[in-house]
Amino acid sequence: MTESEADRATLSLTDIEATICHIAHIIEEDKLYFVQMAGAPLMALLLAKRLHTPGVGYVVEEGAVSPDPSFPLPRMMLGASRSHYRAVQWTGMNVVDAHAALGFMDYGLLAALQIDRFGNFNSTHIGGTFDQPERRFGGPGGATEIASQCWRTIIMTKLQKRKFVEKVDFVSSPGYLDGTPGARERAGMPSGTGPWRVVTAEATFDFDEDSRQMRLIALAPWTTKEEVLEKMGFEPLVADKLESMRVPSEEELNAIRAEIDPGGFSTGRGEWITIDAATGNKAG
Amino acid sequence: MTQTLQVTAAGKGDFLPPDPDGFREYVRQNKDRRPVNKVVSEKEAVSRFVSDGDYLAYDQNIAVRGPTSLYREIIRQHKKDLWVAAKFTWTDVSLLIAGGCVSKVDVGWMESGALLNKAVKDGSVKLIEWTNGALAYRLLAGSLGVPYLPMRYMGGTDTFEQSGARLTEDPYTGMPLCVVPALNPDVALIHVHQADVHGNARVFGAGVAPAEMAMASKKVIISTEEIIDNEEIRKQPQRTTIPYYLVDAVVEAPFGSYPGSTPGLYGADIEHWLTFAAAQAQGKTDEYLDHWVHSLASHQELLDERLGEQKLAQLREGETVTEGYYD
Repeated sequence: MTESEADRATLSLTDIEATICHIAHIIEEDKLYFVQMAGAPLMALLLAKRLHTPGVGYVVEEGAVSPDPSFPLPRMMLGASRSHYRAVQWTGMNVVDAHAALGFMDYGLLAALQIDRFGNFNSTHIGGTFDQPERRFGGPGGATEIASQCWRTIIMTKLQKRKFVEKVDFVSSPGYLDGTPGARERAGMPSGTGPWRVVTAEATFDFDEDSRQMRLIALAPWTTKEEVLEKMGFEPLVADKLESMRVPSEEELNAIRAEIDPGGFSTGRGEWITIDAATGNKAG
Repeated sequence: MTQTLQVTAAGKGDFLPPDPDGFREYVRQNKDRRPVNKVVSEKEAVSRFVSDGDYLAYDQNIAVRGPTSLYREIIRQHKKDLWVAAKFTWTDVSLLIAGGCVSKVDVGWMESGALLNKAVKDGSVKLIEWTNGALAYRLLAGSLGVPYLPMRYMGGTDTFEQSGARLTEDPYTGMPLCVVPALNPDVALIHVHQADVHGNARVFGAGVAPAEMAMASKKVIISTEEIIDNEEIRKQPQRTTIPYYLVDAVVEAPFGSYPGSTPGLYGADIEHWLTFAAAQAQGKTDEYLDHWVHSLASHQELLDERLGEQKLAQLREGETVTEGYYD
């Protein structure tokens, strides 16, 4: 093999790009999604829409219903006209939140700063106390209404010890709370809802039906179970058989870089990895 | 048999006590029912209708259709001790903190840079936790003239603990239910695409909650990209988002969302956002405010002296999507 052939056989991508590809692949065309306003969750949905599930419907919290944004997308998507382009309805926040309350939203798609074993997550502060935080963040935004009222919630984050923690500094938005049966219902949430998947670049988790604890179910080909557990601040349950996550394709990466996030404003900032394009094994 | 609403848990966050009868009385005494001309300068609108200590709400944010010319006037007039609803917000709160205007913030989502972090740590700004949806929903309750509404989220979280929400037992089904108090702001700032002189106002595009906010607020200041004839309003009544009797002041403010966009009309000035971000990171927001607020007498001066016709033309060209807004 010549050197240039060897180059072609590898893919370099960021962990954010990998996560977006993983999520895009589990989007279902016949479901409705409630997507956190801008950034990586919306990019994952738009990648799915661009390549796999063109007809998939979604709402964003400021009140755009099933837009069909034109690619390439602008750098600043938040509430902008291009992200609401060709929607079927322009309405407001109370209306789309009510659609979720009524049970129309199959999936919520969110990002979290910090998450615990029951899928409770934090977007409020890291370190210190509520009154004297080490670092204050923007708050839950629309994540709590999404995580409480959609049937299933998909949460994306980075696989890092400081993100997967035994106890989050602040429960901004609910997972299974203390994990006891009926905990969400006792807190006033609709029954049958809750976190469904936590997706990172290297690993995917679900939640055990009885204990409501996070469970490792799939690994990216470029990592191992031991490496994944090493990057977590708590020990999750581990499924008997670990699935292998799909290798992001060149087509997906091209769509992200040329059309979804031109310039890599959000997706290019992550940690870079180089993998074998066919097997997904770590290259080199 | 009498049943009372059982409160089983209560957050400790502050909120304005709901007072539907007080609101009705305020409306009866203060709101003008006549379709009179309410057009005033931003200077007059803010000096008459924004008071120190007011609860202030605004629709949308500094990125999209936010009432930024009114923020700048509030800063110019050194309004103080405002309690601000940060629902679906970006650097709006930071800008008002830089101006020394804020003492409390109801949090949905906001940009959280150096200014906000410092203000929280030194105790000059107190945060109360809600969510974007909860604040919009509290405005909905406020707009309906009821003291609270039940909803199915926020219970069980630390957000709940730092909010003014309550967990109750529903009197009909017996199920646990979160209730939130109506929000009736003292003053609302709403930027719109078009309004007539009486305050009949049109918002085009996805709106967050402009109609609920106008109904729920005691004083309503509309800033508008353009003033249109009442005859135009009457030709397409379905396009009216806010009717005149809710409105106290109409301020003509072309590019009134600058540096944000008004959808369908002009795009955002991303460089300006970076300028503010840099000023914040370097602790130089006083210089920023001198240049963009205090050295200017009005929004019109900002357009004439800081932006100019060529820049405004660029912003208009920056809006590439017009379908659906004005047609």
